[in-house]
Amino acid sequence: MALVNLESVWKSYKKGRDRVEVLNDISFRVNSRDFVALMGPSGSGKTTMLNLIGGLDRPTSGVVTVNDLVLNNLSSGKLARWRSESIGFVFQFYNLLPVFNARQNVELPLLLTKLGRKQRKKNAALALDIVGLSDRARHTPARLSGGQQQRVAIARAIVADPKILVCDEPTGDLDRSTATEILRLLQILNQEHDKTIIMVTHDPKAAEYAKRTMLLDKGKLVSRLIQPDVEAEVEA
Amino acid sequence: MTIFGFLIKSMFRRKLLVTLSMLSLTTAFLLFILLRSVAVLFSGDVIDVPDVRMQTNSKYAMIFPLPHRYGEEIAAVEGVLAVTFASWFGGTFREGDTSAMTFAVDPSTYFEVHENYQISTEHLEAFLGLRTAAVAPEAIMYRYDLEVGEKVPVTSSIYPNTNGEPWTFDLVGTYRSENESEAAFLPFLFHYEYLKEASGESDVGWYTFTIEDPDKATEIAQIVDSKFENTADKTKTMTESQAFRNMMEQFGDISLMMNGIIGAVFFTMLLLTANTMIHSYRQRIPDLAVLKTLGFSDGKVARYMIFESLLFCTSSAAVGIGIAVATLALIGPYLPSGFVLIVTWNTLFWGTCIAVGLGLFIGLVPAFSANRLVIVDALHAR
Ligand SMILES: Nc1ncnc2c1ncn2[C@@H]1O[C@H](COP(=O)(O)OP(=O)(O)OP(=O)(O)O)[C@@H](O)[C@H]1O
Ligand SMILES: [Mg+2]
Repeated sequence: MALVNLESVWKSYKKGRDRVEVLNDISFRVNSRDFVALMGPSGSGKTTMLNLIGGLDRPTSGVVTVNDLVLNNLSSGKLARWRSESIGFVFQFYNLLPVFNARQNVELPLLLTKLGRKQRKKNAALALDIVGLSDRARHTPARLSGGQQQRVAIARAIVADPKILVCDEPTGDLDRSTATEILRLLQILNQEHDKTIIMVTHDPKAAEYAKRTMLLDKGKLVSRLIQPDVEAEVEA
Repeated sequence: MTIFGFLIKSMFRRKLLVTLSMLSLTTAFLLFILLRSVAVLFSGDVIDVPDVRMQTNSKYAMIFPLPHRYGEEIAAVEGVLAVTFASWFGGTFREGDTSAMTFAVDPSTYFEVHENYQISTEHLEAFLGLRTAAVAPEAIMYRYDLEVGEKVPVTSSIYPNTNGEPWTFDLVGTYRSENESEAAFLPFLFHYEYLKEASGESDVGWYTFTIEDPDKATEIAQIVDSKFENTADKTKTMTESQAFRNMMEQFGDISLMMNGIIGAVFFTMLLLTANTMIHSYRQRIPDLAVLKTLGFSDGKVARYMIFESLLFCTSSAAVGIGIAVATLALIGPYLPSGFVLIVTWNTLFWGTCIAVGLGLFIGLVPAFSANRLVIVDALHAR
C-alpha cells in the first residue's frame, strides 16, 4: 500500500453561516521515497491538503491513511504524538521560535522523545550539519538570513527522523539562488536520506526538482505529471 | 536544553514586559510581608503571657498614678501571692531617640512577681545592693550598645533631673524572659527608691501581682477593684495578657488598615499580572501553534502556560519575601523597643498561598486558550 493515501476526501470550512468547500473528492497516493510537487492557484486548497496529510486537520469526509494508519479516528493527543514521530513540517515563513538559537530550535521536537539531554544536543547538531549550518548553531533566527532560517527549519523537520516531509511553499519567500540551494537540499534528503516529500509550490522551476507534479484547481486534482528526468535536467 | 530551560526561555520572550511585571509583583510581596508584620504587631498576636499575673491600673487611664499604700491592701486579698509595682519613667538613652521602656521598680519584689524573668543571682544581688543600680534586657543592651559595669546616662521628660543633667544609672546586670516572644517588650529597670528620693515622687504607676489560681482571676479582680471603689483613685484590675490585648486593641484600626492596603495592592497586582500574562499569551499564539504542529499536545501546551504563570508568581514572591525578611532583620535593632516586627509562619503561609493562587488564577485563561488553540486556524491567520 502507498505510504500516503487519500480516498474520496472532502473538506469544507464554516465561514459564518456559509460553508466553503475547499477539497472536493480528492483521491491521491504517494509512495515511499516519492517527491511530489503540488501546484495550483491561490486558494485552491493546497495547504488544506497538506494539513490533512500532516495530521494537522481532519477531513469532512473520506479517509486519510498514512503508513497504514487511519488518521481520521485518532484523538488529538494521539495525532500530536504521531506527528512528532512521523512528519516533518517546513513552512514558507520558517516558523522558528525567536527566543531560541538555531540548535535549540532544532532540538524542540526532541523534547518530546525519551532521548537524554546530551543525545538531544548531539542529534540537533547532526541535523544542523546535514543542512550545512553547523557554524550558525548559536545564532537566533533574527541573526540569520531567510535561506539560513529555512535550513534551520528543515533541520528541525528531520531531527526526529520522520519518513515524510511536508513543505508548504518552502522557497516562497526566498530569492532564486537561495531557493535553488533549499531545493537541492530537499532533493538530497529525498535521494540520500529516503525522505518522502510533498511540497506545495507556485514556482514551476521549483516543481522541477520533484519527481512528479500534481495540479490542484478549485479543490480538485486536475492532472498528474510525471517527470522522470528532472534530476538530469537540473544537473545540466 | 531541558524542558525547564525551554519554559524559562519561552516565558521571557517579552523580556522587558515580563521583567517589569516580575519587579512589581516582587514589590507587592515585599509590601505584603512588611505590612503584615506591622499588622501582626498591632493585632497583639505576638505575645503570650501566662494568666497567673494580674495588673492593677488606675480606672481612668493607664498612665494615672496610684497611691503607694494600695500595695499592702492588694497583698491582703485572699489568693494573692506576691505584689510589686512599677512607675513609667520614659527614659531616653540617646539624644533625639524615642523613649525606651524604662520602669522604676522595687527590685526585691519585681523579680519575685515576674518569675519568668531570668537573672543570675550575682546580677540580682548587685542590683539589690546599690541604690543607683539598674538592669537591662538584652534587646536594650544590644540596641544602645550597653555593657554591664557601665554608667548609663538617661533623660526623662516625665522626671527631668533637678540640675538639668541626665540621670545616671550603674548598669550592674542583665536579664531575659523565658518567653521568647516577650524579648522586645522587656523594660530597663532601676530602683523606685532612687526616683523617690531624687524627685519627691510618692505615687506608683501600677501594681502587678501573682495569684494562686488562674481560674480565680476574675473574682480577685472584682475584690481588688471594690476595695478602692469609694476612693478618689479607683482601679481597674485584669490579667496581664488581657491588659496587653487591650493595649493592642487600641491599635486595632492599624491592623485593619494594613490588611486593607494589602488587599488593594494585590487586587492591583491581579489585574496587572493577568494583563501581562494574557498579553504575552497573545503574542505567542504563533509559537504555540508551531509547538502543537511539532507534536506538543493540547494538554502539554496548557500545562506549560500554567507552569509559567506559577513560576512567574512564585519566583517573584520568593524574591519579595526574601528581601522583606532581610530588611526586617536589618532594621529590627533600630526600631523603638517594643516595636517588634516579625514574619510569622502564618504570614509566610499566606504569602505562599497568594503566590500559588495568583499563579493558578492568572494562568487559567492562557492555559484554557492554549488548550483550545486550533493549529490550522492559528497558522491560517498569519
Ligand atoms: N482554517 C481555515 N478556516 C477557514 N477557512 C480556511 C481555513 N484554511 C483555509 N481556508 C479557506 O480554504 C480555501 C483554501 O485555502 P488553502 O490555504 O488551502 O489554499 P492554498 O491553495 O494553500 O492557497 P495559497 O496558495 O494562497 O496558499 C481558502 O478559501 C481559504 O480561505
Ligand atoms: Mg497555502
